[in-house]
Amino acid sequence: MSDTEHKLIGTLKQQLAEKTIGRRDFLRFATLLGLGAPAAYEFANRIDGGIAPAAYADDLPKGGIIRIAQRVPKLDNPHTFSWIYDSNCVRQVCGYLTRTGADNITRPDLASSWEVSDDLKTWTFHMNPKATWHKGGAFTAEHAAWNIKHCLDPAVGSSVIGLMKGYMLKDVDTGKLDDKGAKVMTTELWDANAIEVKDPSTLVLHLQEPQVAVPEHFFHYPFLMLDPAENGVFAMGSNGTGSFEMTVLEVGRKCEFKRIADRPGQVDELHFVDLGDNPSAVAAALASKQVDGIFQGNIEQYDIYKGMAHTDIHSIVTAQTAVARMRSDSKPFDNPAVRKAVRLATDCEKTLQIAHKGVGSAAEHHHVAPVHPDYFKLPPMPRDVEGAKKLLADAGFKDGIDIEINCKPDPSWEQAAVEAMAEQWKEAGIRAKINVLPSNKFWEVWETVPFGFTEWTHRPLGFMVLALAYRTGVPWNESAYSNKEFDDLLTKAEGTVDVKARSEILGKLEKIMQEDGPIAQPLWRSVFAAYDKRVKGFNIHPTLYIFGEDLAIEKA
Amino acid sequence: MLAIAARRLVSMLLIMFVISVLLFLFFEGDKLNLAARVLGPYSPMTGRLAWLEHNGYNRPLITRYLAWIYGFMRGDWNQSAQFDAPVFDFLLPRLKNTAILGACVFVLTVAISLVLGVFSGIAEASKRDRAITVISVLTTSVPEFASATFLVAIFVYWLDWLPGSSSFNNGFSWREMILPVATLVIYNFGYYTRMTRASMAEVMNSQYIRTAVLKGLPYHQVIIRHALRNALIAPFTVMILQLNYLLSGVVVTEVFFAYDGYGKALYDAAMFGDVYLILAGAMIAVVVAVVSQFISDVGYTQLNPRIRFS
Repeated sequence: MSDTEHKLIGTLKQQLAEKTIGRRDFLRFATLLGLGAPAAYEFANRIDGGIAPAAYADDLPKGGIIRIAQRVPKLDNPHTFSWIYDSNCVRQVCGYLTRTGADNITRPDLASSWEVSDDLKTWTFHMNPKATWHKGGAFTAEHAAWNIKHCLDPAVGSSVIGLMKGYMLKDVDTGKLDDKGAKVMTTELWDANAIEVKDPSTLVLHLQEPQVAVPEHFFHYPFLMLDPAENGVFAMGSNGTGSFEMTVLEVGRKCEFKRIADRPGQVDELHFVDLGDNPSAVAAALASKQVDGIFQGNIEQYDIYKGMAHTDIHSIVTAQTAVARMRSDSKPFDNPAVRKAVRLATDCEKTLQIAHKGVGSAAEHHHVAPVHPDYFKLPPMPRDVEGAKKLLADAGFKDGIDIEINCKPDPSWEQAAVEAMAEQWKEAGIRAKINVLPSNKFWEVWETVPFGFTEWTHRPLGFMVLALAYRTGVPWNESAYSNKEFDDLLTKAEGTVDVKARSEILGKLEKIMQEDGPIAQPLWRSVFAAYDKRVKGFNIHPTLYIFGEDLAIEKA
Repeated sequence: MLAIAARRLVSMLLIMFVISVLLFLFFEGDKLNLAARVLGPYSPMTGRLAWLEHNGYNRPLITRYLAWIYGFMRGDWNQSAQFDAPVFDFLLPRLKNTAILGACVFVLTVAISLVLGVFSGIAEASKRDRAITVISVLTTSVPEFASATFLVAIFVYWLDWLPGSSSFNNGFSWREMILPVATLVIYNFGYYTRMTRASMAEVMNSQYIRTAVLKGLPYHQVIIRHALRNALIAPFTVMILQLNYLLSGVVVTEVFFAYDGYGKALYDAAMFGDVYLILAGAMIAVVVAVVSQFISDVGYTQLNPRIRFS
């Protein structure tokens, strides 16, 4: 592969050798740019002497049934999935082109390798010659191309469009007008040849804009590779390339999978059991061994899971969070000193302990997470009540300020975090009245209230949320934040592939967020699941994906 | 008798009509949200509009309503958007599960409360009466979710005797019935007991009982032959009316134990805005409510010789 190696891989190797980037970042970016994961691990090991993870442990127990508590929604249209539950079911039957592991490294799956041109606009994917369908025949580039086109078809309504629109699609006018007289727009491939099947095992994507995260996008949960003959519909007996076939499906009740004898894996069967939305039923089912694991733990039940002698808790820090954001166009938050005072008055570590039982990590008020590859570590910004008082006094608020913060009651940790912070702010003379709105009401006003506590989900790269939420004029800029220097740095970061250089730019962005930015951010959440100790091979994924072929269970 | 049955039938149809119209209107404004829930929070607007069009939600309200009524009469209750199944096929096994739960609860509650109520009522203000009264008031005032939590804490987490969820995933199981039945019986028996006690106490003070006792009849014969029948009229009516509660009041308990019944299905449907499932659930609730009222009326006249249909 060395002759087609992306030119940046050489730079990455250099940086790893000089220890200017970490092992994890090297692995992540080298594999993203097409270096095979084994080769990347091998190179990294030569440099730092680490050990590559064992592929499949031979000593895992064989056979048995694993039952996992998880909602079982309808599964008929995989490319429109919007929850992790449904994809977890179909994932046992159908595969993805790539697979991003719990370590955030993207590895080959149905595509066995890939290369990218130096301008990041031509991606060549080679199909895995060993990948076969249950019903016979090889998985080919034509199959992959059909699936990509199906996902990008606006009539299908897949969320893949949101990911790939920028580099694969263009807007077109349908010529129709809606009720209000506005043009009805739709999308189509930006170029008729954007998805090219070069030969049965080679797929080439031609992008209209450079994009570094194409392999990661192929692991987006609805991006399952279905048999084109089934026309995007998944049902009992559907074809697939994975280890399992579906044997039972009762929406809202259960869904069962049986492993095909000669395919990888340990267990004979994998069952998903729907116990509804009530987390206490799920916890009680695990306690009485009616299920062997749960899809996701609820933070209120954390101590219950911890108290069960027969289970292990598996957790992983993510970039999921919520931020107390202040609208920079409304008083008193139009004064940057007031915004910084709110940050200084916040005790992140304590808020994490109180609101999220310490499950996660304290944040630093800049909305870039330590799990991001391009995160830059700034000196700590500890709580400083005197500093906050002084800032307020200098800004003309000698007697402190009276403000109102809006939040929603579920998930419950959000309200708890707001209550904890409001208590902390009091000491600095920031008297916040808490206004708890029902979720649906909250989502009607989340962008417009002067002060609110808004949740933000995990995005794979550090600059992505900054671009969504704090760039001047973008739709989700709920704090009306506008800072020319910030915008320019952000654009520079987006155009920088080199992770080290980008993390330095992010360092500057983070500093602006801390000094001038519109948010106080207390914590990063961990996601966690609880599994019976008899379950082996489970490795919690930040997105809670479950891979049945990795799991094994000891006999009771 | 026929007249009252006809009157009930008419009022039932009227209630069903009003409720279905209200539900239809209520969910009319929620159409786009339903599409968003089916297709997911990140689905593009074009996809949602296409889904509404494709599934017939864009036809005029009146057309859809008439189509729904026509289908409903013929047993075609439309498709559940959430569960991807015909509403009728989806609800039937769940109604059966709730019927099993309701029957167990009803039989146990009636047995317990009649015994306790009679023992309490025949000796008003005795220590036994006071003890039973305190227990009844206490258990009735603890809501289901609280007593369910207590029961699970004791029998699942601490003693490890009973399964903590009741989804019948490996078929019907009596062991999985115990906790949900216990929760509902605990919540309900106090109310019935109090009703029976009040009625019994009143009868015991009446002159014909005094006459019977003075006549020298054995005490148990006075209770069983003379007091019981008259004392049961009021509690009977209340208990039959409570049948309705056993259908629509079990939501909390079913959701708590993941009991796969009518209540949990209705809860899921309401959270999702699954309009046809909610409609069908509401219609069934109306039928059960009106029928139980009718049974209660008829039974009342049978038990009470002073009232007879002319």
